[in-house]
Amino acid sequence: MSSEDPIESAFAGAVKGTIDWTFDTIKSFVIKLKDKKLAFIQDEETINLVKEQYHSGELSFYKEYVSDKEILFIVNMGLTLRKLHSKKDRRNNLRNKIFDKFEVNGVRVAQFVENGILNRYIGILIDNMSSIIDFKDKIIYVLKNINKHVLFVKKEDSERGVIQHVTSSVASNSPLIYIISGKSSAAEIVRKCEGRLVQLLPDCILEKISSNEMENLFFKRVIPKE
Amino acid sequence: MERLSLKEVSNNSKIGLLRELGYDSDGEFVLESGKKLLDRYLDIPIRLDNMVILPGSIIILDNNELSLSKYIEEFGDVF
Repeated sequence: MSSEDPIESAFAGAVKGTIDWTFDTIKSFVIKLKDKKLAFIQDEETINLVKEQYHSGELSFYKEYVSDKEILFIVNMGLTLRKLHSKKDRRNNLRNKIFDKFEVNGVRVAQFVENGILNRYIGILIDNMSSIIDFKDKIIYVLKNINKHVLFVKKEDSERGVIQHVTSSVASNSPLIYIISGKSSAAEIVRKCEGRLVQLLPDCILEKISSNEMENLFFKRVIPKE
Repeated sequence: MERLSLKEVSNNSKIGLLRELGYDSDGEFVLESGKKLLDRYLDIPIRLDNMVILPGSIIILDNNELSLSKYIEEFGDVF
């Protein structure tokens, strides 16, 4: 390789096809790597997405109110999943990695964020906020006990099963807010359950976030006046 | 910081780079002392065709959003 700048030559080689480096080129790369002047990556897209997410306004907001580092990281992964919504393979790959690292609860927290539920949940908490400490505690509590607060409906679920699960979970856990969330074909199942759930949860007020491909029902418990 | 993609680089050159850094490869995975090197955040073997090599005491990772986000969390946005 004759160019004075081996990186410039390496990029030039990429146009032609497979690049071979000389021993001297490798030596010069290693010096740059050790001097923190060079990083070897696969694709710009992945790095740029991770960087963009790391500096995003939404994550900065959550950093203020989510003190648990592991949960905050999973929130970040949920935001990243949202960014990958049109890239099915990469989204599924990341989802699998989240499952490997944080198990099923981690996937659910990430999904909670990806579907925009955490946004709205926080909005509802703000409406009833008594103090910042209480607000922070409630966010952490819901994220650490995600199963008690949300049901992610799957396409193979039955309406009857969903209704039974929701009524049983609300009765045993008494959450302030309970959410039923469905995407794609599962969104239709959620819509079909709505009327019956309104009847079965008379102590709750329903708020919905709907779109063509998603249906989220928020059942907010009404605190009885003394 | 300059970023150089390994996508079009030959396996021989990537293995040469790894050897210069004290690692090796069997042509499929990155090896350290004869054993498969694991991604420090996911504990998965790192494939030669999907590795990234990042500064910070030389960190070799699998190229995925989770590992790279963990790296940025630990070392800051060095890119």
